[in-house]
Amino acid sequence: MISKFLERSTYFLFTLPAVILYTLFFAYAVFVGIQYSFTDWNGISAQYNYIGFHNYIELWNNPNFKQSLIVTGKYAGMLVAGVMILSLILALSLNSLKKFQTFTKSVYFLPAMISAVTISLIWDQLFVRVIPPIGEALNVAALFQSPLAHPKYALIAVVVVNIWQAVALPTLIFIAGLQSVPSELYEAGRIDGASTFNRFRYITFPYLMPTITVNMVLAIKSGITSFDYAYTLTGGGPIKSTNVIGIMIYNDAFQNLKFAMANAESVILFIIIAVLSFIQIKISSKGGVH
Amino acid sequence: MNFTIRQEGLGWRIIRNIILLIGIIIILGPMYLVIVNSFKSLEEAGRGFFSLPQSLNFSNYTELLSKGNYWRYVWNTTFITVGSIIMVLLINPTVSYAIARNRHKKYYNFVYVYILLGLFVPFQVIMLPLTKIMTNLNLLNPYGLILLYGALSLTRGVFLLVNYIQAMPTEIEEAARIDGCSTFQIYHSIILRLTMPMLVTLVIMDALWFWNDFMLPLLILNKAKEFWTLPLFQYNFKTEYSFNYTMAFTSYLMAMLPIIVIYAAGQKHIIAGLTEGAIKG
Repeated sequence: MISKFLERSTYFLFTLPAVILYTLFFAYAVFVGIQYSFTDWNGISAQYNYIGFHNYIELWNNPNFKQSLIVTGKYAGMLVAGVMILSLILALSLNSLKKFQTFTKSVYFLPAMISAVTISLIWDQLFVRVIPPIGEALNVAALFQSPLAHPKYALIAVVVVNIWQAVALPTLIFIAGLQSVPSELYEAGRIDGASTFNRFRYITFPYLMPTITVNMVLAIKSGITSFDYAYTLTGGGPIKSTNVIGIMIYNDAFQNLKFAMANAESVILFIIIAVLSFIQIKISSKGGVH
Repeated sequence: MNFTIRQEGLGWRIIRNIILLIGIIIILGPMYLVIVNSFKSLEEAGRGFFSLPQSLNFSNYTELLSKGNYWRYVWNTTFITVGSIIMVLLINPTVSYAIARNRHKKYYNFVYVYILLGLFVPFQVIMLPLTKIMTNLNLLNPYGLILLYGALSLTRGVFLLVNYIQAMPTEIEEAARIDGCSTFQIYHSIILRLTMPMLVTLVIMDALWFWNDFMLPLLILNKAKEFWTLPLFQYNFKTEYSFNYTMAFTSYLMAMLPIIVIYAAGQKHIIAGLTEGAIKG
């Protein structure tokens, strides 16, 4: 009897641990987070009240939040542009390399192994030790100090560090995408007298479309939700110039005693990601070779 | 047959090699600086930041290892990574197999969609409630973190594994069933083996995530020093070593060392595995 019951419910039992864990630590967390966003809880007190959309209205009027969204947008924009362009160039270069390809590939993939914190700390030191001497040698005032200390350049510097690590995986994905292009097409292109650029434009590019979408989706999401690099390198400063939304949420929740507000901020982030994902799915479902 | 291989223009080859060389310098340059300066005293680094150390001076290393609790953090990170990987392997393939073979049934299809919806949820949405949930459950410790990683691994794991298992032929399973094998036996002795390539990919991706993660340990473990992982140790020591920067470089190197040793040993498999998962994902 028992063994028969077990046999009939094996599949169901297989789903149970995952469903329970996922429900408690994911679905329930999302639900509770949305719920908190409608309260005035500071994160510590025993009691809190429901205040409707008050937090959202306040955020709408909060210049810091708007500024943070703009910083995040710039961050994501620079990250996506840098990662996409560099990884495509590197993939084309690596893919056509005949000698030392394995070695070169493994060097290029090394940054993906190291934690963002360690990478940020290393670059923090390099910015302090390497940039000012260069600035003094060239007599460029902007380079007299670490770019991280400069409100104008800090964001770019943080993104550069992020790109340094984030290029590795998209490059690999692009290489795999390039290898999916049938070589006969290049032959045909050459016989028809197509230039190198036109071969890229009309043969490689359409085949890369799905890969470009994948990399784009990953890069946009990681750009919008980024935290580690800016938090370790600048903590959001100087003068909030690198205060990405990830840092604002963290600080509001754990430093500024605005726990409920921070939840409202992350719900807005959720909506932004959902809308962007929807648009991306719509766009990527047309065009390209599948 | 050599003439069919595309002869690339000389110009492109030169540009390409210059690009790749610059890239290698940009990647290995910082590594070089970390390594050489970790062997220098502050005074020696002040004289020449870019030069090789005059001698292999291990005093930074002995100091770090003697007072920094370094081995404790290595152990914590290893424990959490291995424990979480075990969780991943316990819960991901089972649920994926159940879904893949029962997609036509409402419950299993619901579970599939339910878990995949998580792909659209940014981590920030759940991170604040999670700190409260974990506090209430008394799980602000490595075990709690392992449970969390298990739960959070499901979106990617189920996505990759369900597709993979659905693409596998079912003949062997059917034959085994006729021979009287139970579903569990089939899972245990056939499915696990056949999904091995995708499981390897998943394990590599998740292990890198667990080992290097900063955000979740920061939220769950930062208050208790005895639970710190390597990234937390790095972060918390950043102020301590901000003046003694050669010491800081030593600590960065020691934090990277375990993963770089593993990478050096298995880079071919790691790269292949990650490419596989990234394309399917």
